[in-house]
Amino acid sequence: MRSAMTQAIDPGVDRINGPHLSHPAPAVRLDGLTKRYGERVAVDGLTIGVPAGVVAGFVGPNGAGKTTTMAMLLGLVAPTDGDGSVLGEPLDDPASFLGSVGALIEGPAFYPGLTGARNLAVLATAAGHDPAQVRGLLELVGLAERGDDRVRGYSFGMKQRLGIASALLGNPRLLILDEPINGLDPAGVREMRGLLGRLASEERTVLVSSHVLAELEQVCDWLIVIDRGRLVFQGLAEQMLAGGGASLTVAPEHRVDLDRLRDVVASAGLDGEIGGERLNVTINGADPHAVAAAVNRAAGASGIVLAELSVTRTSLEDRYLSMVRDEGADR
Amino acid sequence: MTNMWKAELLKLRRRRFLIGWTIGAVAFAVLSALTVFLSAAGPGEQAAARGATVESLGQAGGATQAFSLGASFIGILVLVLFIANFAGEFTQGTFRTLLMRQPRRLALLAGKMTALLAFVAVAMLLAEVLTVAASAAIAPTQDISTGSWFSLDGLGEAAGDYATAMLGVSSWAAFGMALAIFVRSIPIGLGIGIVWSGPFEHLIADAWTSASQWFPGLLLEALAAGGTPDVSVARALTLVAIYVAAAASAAAVVFARRDITA
Repeated sequence: MRSAMTQAIDPGVDRINGPHLSHPAPAVRLDGLTKRYGERVAVDGLTIGVPAGVVAGFVGPNGAGKTTTMAMLLGLVAPTDGDGSVLGEPLDDPASFLGSVGALIEGPAFYPGLTGARNLAVLATAAGHDPAQVRGLLELVGLAERGDDRVRGYSFGMKQRLGIASALLGNPRLLILDEPINGLDPAGVREMRGLLGRLASEERTVLVSSHVLAELEQVCDWLIVIDRGRLVFQGLAEQMLAGGGASLTVAPEHRVDLDRLRDVVASAGLDGEIGGERLNVTINGADPHAVAAAVNRAAGASGIVLAELSVTRTSLEDRYLSMVRDEGADR
Repeated sequence: MTNMWKAELLKLRRRRFLIGWTIGAVAFAVLSALTVFLSAAGPGEQAAARGATVESLGQAGGATQAFSLGASFIGILVLVLFIANFAGEFTQGTFRTLLMRQPRRLALLAGKMTALLAFVAVAMLLAEVLTVAASAAIAPTQDISTGSWFSLDGLGEAAGDYATAMLGVSSWAAFGMALAIFVRSIPIGLGIGIVWSGPFEHLIADAWTSASQWFPGLLLEALAAGGTPDVSVARALTLVAIYVAAAASAAAVVFARRDITA
């Protein structure tokens, strides 16, 4: 999926202005989208694009404007300014694209007195979809055995699964999911991760927001970071992570070789710092795997046998926090 | 609109819900018939306001007189039902879920409203049929003849009573829907609706005699009674139609333009 995606977008995309916006058919394109509530600006001139076929993570602190943006994409909230398109249709005409969009936003909302299956049938009927797909969707989200129970008796995690099933009604081309793993147990989170991967591999576009960045890191190809209603980053997840650098952890077989190993690393122009029985090497901009190979070769040439050599990339969480911190400092 | 109409009916098509309504219709029929027939004024007696007489019960419209008198109380029930249903969609967040499936807001509103009204229409028809049955069972015990009930005139009276009752409940339904959309809260909606239509209008009417010519609840009472000395049917009908149109239009505009954030 990744290779197909990289062919579909311009890899030169970077902070703020994404060249992919010129791509002929992004699944979502927003141009200067703004939402004001009186004096408060919830979304501030947001210009983003989500290439078709990617799993896009939508990240930002609480109150950043993620849910409001998603609500505008779904026609629930009217923008104060700006425009855009969803699946090539104008944003201000949600009826033209919502038939191909499935969404879960602001938590699952169902009729508590109806069964899970009846709730889905009501939504399918309202949309003009075939209610016969309900059983299959309940099975897909692991609710086949509880589908005939009233939603009143469901746990939050079960409602969340039902919400995912409702989003999948009509086999949508675009899924918009707001915090879909909220309330799920660890097994549910794993299932959700697998489900998102499967959905995306079916040439579907998924826009998913979550506070659990480690989860997004595992499933997302594309990332959009916003803070206080403004765009902080959009682009390939790899690019965002690469911008955070990486480090190398090296340990010689014999502790006595540690100082000599540091000298070898220094002679290669790298900074190494001894911590315990390991040497931590900072990599700035270079390809971490190439550096690791070079260190391994140099150590071997110096007669040092390595017991450990590993690359540690900056996590999405670290990168995100640093970006949001930088953005806050800029204002 | 058709899809939403079907979806709303799918919500209502629940065994417990339907059994509850059927029991309610039976209770309404029996209580209405008993109350009206047992309190009917005999020859030479003065009938209470809107009360039945033995003579009137023996005429063509006698079969549905209990239904007609009882139906004026159903208005409040329908008001409560519509406020709870529409405001509940906001408080449960289900309007949000529905709008993601049916983004044409006016179509959604119209489909939902007509489905609920169709359900009420069937329930009212059931209530009328059951009331006729209960009346037919009680009438002989009060020496009231049922001979002219099932004549053409009798059927015409029954259809007229049903239409009048539906006019009343449809108006209450529109007021309930509008109120729910304005306040988006079941307790607040019910509080305002019940206080306004119950004590408030009658208290005002006690202090200001012309209130019955202007206030919607009092006009609907006049309509159900087939007109009063103060309010003609034509006046009641015209003003109620204006109020219903204004309430429905305002609700439609608010619903179409409002951000759905809950």
